[in-house]
Order: sequence, then C-alpha cells, then structure tokens
Amino acid sequence: MAKAIKTVSTVVSKVEDLGNDTKRFTLVDQDDWELPPFRPGAHIDVHLGQGLVRTYSLCNDPYDDRRYVIAVKREREGRGGSNFLHDLVEVGQPISVSLPRGGIALDQEGTNVFLAGGIGVTPFISAIRHLERRGRSNYVLHWTSRGRPVLTDMIAPAIEAGRIRLYDTTAQAKPVIAAIVGEFAGSGLAACCGPAAMLKAFEDAVSAWPEERKHIEMFTPPKVIARSDVPPYELYLSASQKLATVTPDVGLLGTLDALGVEVPVSCGGGICGACRTRWTEGPPIHRDRVLSIAERQNELIVCVGDCAGQRLVLDL
Amino acid sequence: MDAIAIEEPEVTMSWQGVVRYLHKTPRAFLPMRSFPSLELVAGRGIEGDRYFVGHETGFYSHKPEEGRQVTLFEMETLEALQRDHKIELLPEEHRRNVTVEGVPLNHLVGRRFRLGEAIVEATRLSTPCRHIEEILGKSVFDPLINRSGLNCKIIAGGTLRVGDAVRPI
Repeated sequence: MAKAIKTVSTVVSKVEDLGNDTKRFTLVDQDDWELPPFRPGAHIDVHLGQGLVRTYSLCNDPYDDRRYVIAVKREREGRGGSNFLHDLVEVGQPISVSLPRGGIALDQEGTNVFLAGGIGVTPFISAIRHLERRGRSNYVLHWTSRGRPVLTDMIAPAIEAGRIRLYDTTAQAKPVIAAIVGEFAGSGLAACCGPAAMLKAFEDAVSAWPEERKHIEMFTPPKVIARSDVPPYELYLSASQKLATVTPDVGLLGTLDALGVEVPVSCGGGICGACRTRWTEGPPIHRDRVLSIAERQNELIVCVGDCAGQRLVLDL
Repeated sequence: MDAIAIEEPEVTMSWQGVVRYLHKTPRAFLPMRSFPSLELVAGRGIEGDRYFVGHETGFYSHKPEEGRQVTLFEMETLEALQRDHKIELLPEEHRRNVTVEGVPLNHLVGRRFRLGEAIVEATRLSTPCRHIEEILGKSVFDPLINRSGLNCKIIAGGTLRVGDAVRPI
C-alpha cells in the first residue's frame, strides 16, 4: 500500500547567494499553484531526505501565496541542514515541506517591537512586508548583524523610511534590549529572534509582560506540544513484536508511525472507525465516537486512543 | 395464517438543485481553486484533480476509493456553520469539488442523479477529517459530522458548469 502523503511537494525555483554565508531559496509548486497559506512570521519544516528535517521561517509576505521563501545561513559546525542546503540544493530540485506553522500575532494598533540577531530577522521580514503592504507602520525593528546584513533588499522601503535600526556589531555596541522594550512596557507587542544570549536578554526584559504581548522565535526545533495528558506508557505490538514508549508529545499514533506501522487512519478524530485495532492488554483510554461498549472490550480507535495503565498491547 | 405481502411503494424524489461553485486542486494540501467548469470523466474523476484515477496525488491517495471521483458539499451547510457556530467556511475551504444548493445530499447514498450533463452515483457520505482543521486553522471537525458532503463515482461524464441543474433521475 502506498504511504499517506504528509508533506507539500515543492520545487526550488531560485537559489540566490546573498554573501555572508547566506543563501535564499524560493520554493514553488510545480504548476505554480497557490501554496497552503501562512501567517506573518510562520515557519515550515524542510524535508531534506534521509530523516534530515530542518525548520526555517518564511520571509515572504503571506499575500505572496505562490512562493515559500527561506533564507539559510551556513552553520559549518551545525547539524548538517544548512550545509546540505548550501552545497546540494539546486534550482529544479523537488523538496517536501510541512504545512506552515506558527506566526506572530501582530498588534494591530499598538507598536510591534521586533528584535533580531543576524539571520533571525527572517520572521520579521515576513511580518514587515505584511504590515507595509497594508499601509501600516506601527512597528520598529532593531537588527544586529556582524558585518553587512543580508536580506535588506526585502525590506528596503522600510529601511529608507527609518523604521529599521541596524547595528553592525563589528563597528558599534550591541543595543540594550531592556532599554528598547522598556519604552513599550505598557502596550504593544515585543518579539525576538536571534542567538541564545539575545533571547535570554529579551526574556529577562519582558518577564513581567503578559504572554500575549511577547513572542520568542527559536532557532532550534519548535516547542513540543503535548497531545495527550496521560503519563508515558509502554506500547507492545504483538504481531510484529515491536516495543516502544508512548510519550504525551508524540502520542499513540505518532509512535505507531515512528515504528513504521501503517495504520489506515482516515478522519484522525475518532469518528470514522478506519483505524480500529484489537487490543489485548491495557486498559485503553477510548476517546472515539464509533465503538459500542461491547466493541471497546477488545477494540480501540487508535487515532484518538491512549492507555490508562502502564502497558498497552495491540494486535499489530 | 398466510404472510401478508407488503408492497414497498417506489420512492420518487422531487428535489431540484443547482451547482453554485466548482473547485479542484492538483495535489494534497494545496488550496482549492475555483473554476467556471470542470471536466468529469466516467470511472476516473475530474481532469486535473488530485484524485483523478491514474494520477492520484491527494491526501487519501493511499486509500483508493471509487467514490472519490467527485465529491459534493451543501451550500446550506456553509450557511448553518455561520448561523449556528459563527464559523465562516468558504466554498473553497471545505475541499469538496462541487458546492450545490437545494440538493439533499444525505438522502442520496446509493442513488444515481444528474449533475449537469453527467450522471453520478453516490457511494457514501463524506467524513470530516482533522486534516482540514490543520489546513484551515478553523475548528470545523465536530460541526461537520454528518454533513460533510457526499462521495460519488461518475457513471457518465461531461462538462459540469456553475449554474448547472442537479436533479434526480
């Protein structure tokens, strides 16, 4: 059986070397179809093959819906994603990406204060292009860069209008983050993306701010969101003799997927019954809306199921 | 005592509906695009759509199904979502191909009916999927249970246009 399609198929339409070890990649649909929509500052997982998956912010305007534009700085000592993109990805190459996630909930009326370090500017470029297109100027970007910043061409009008403050740290001091955000303590949104020290300074500066008024964008993989509220449990598949631990962030279905077990999931919400599976040890937690009480004695809808005990055994 | 023979009266349906919107998309996850007409091909599907038999690239292509050749959705459901749940679901967002008005989709399973110049046979009711919530960012899964449209196979093909009549055979 063919595997379920879980990613968006794109093709590299442009690769630009911007200097300063940074390349900009434009991804499009093979027939120039619109791509799935995204919010300003959203990011995508880029699947580079052989399990290499990296997350990059989209830096084009969400209105520009036929492209995903990412900018990648080469990290020579990194984990391999940026080197792969810099060395091996060319125009015309197919690349699978995830649906876009996340984004910055911009303050529509108050000031949006963006703080970026180097390539960490990418989510703010998307946000700035979005605001500028709508005729809004209620933002300011403080952007530090070691040497000449790249990607300035994407926000040239905003730089010209004086809404972007550039700091070349080879020639001048880094900005004092607490002082910058302190001006806006009473209203607006503050957002930061950059190296760890910058994020730490930002977090300290906005620690007393309400959550909805601050946004931190990490370079590292996205925060894990718990999909269930049950403690970890052991999963044993009796037919294939596979063993794994189900954790709340991965969930039962994610664990089955990781084990390479193809379960015929359809609705993903516990109503169609396509993924009903026999269980022999549990007891399971049933969250479906299709099985009768009698059926639940030996069957489980795994797309929404879990285990109430320490060990779940499925006939898979 | 002799068994009493009960003769089932033949049910005739008297509704008549209309095609309001037509959509297709070539690959999984890509937005649906609106068209003034679609080409329905008997036994295969809609030309250029992700579930066209022989060129399947849709989310459910790993689970081939006759009834996914053309899918229908009720205009009235979009209105109900707005009225009852304050959710604005647009015709291009439900991800079915044909948005109809005045057609009792839930009563057509197992029946053949005319869709413009084509003839289709309803195989089963569509089921909502969490996948649509992921794409749209709208909580429509629960409100769409039991009114998520109709899956059909194409018995006789033809060009289907916005404004075409939908009627029983």
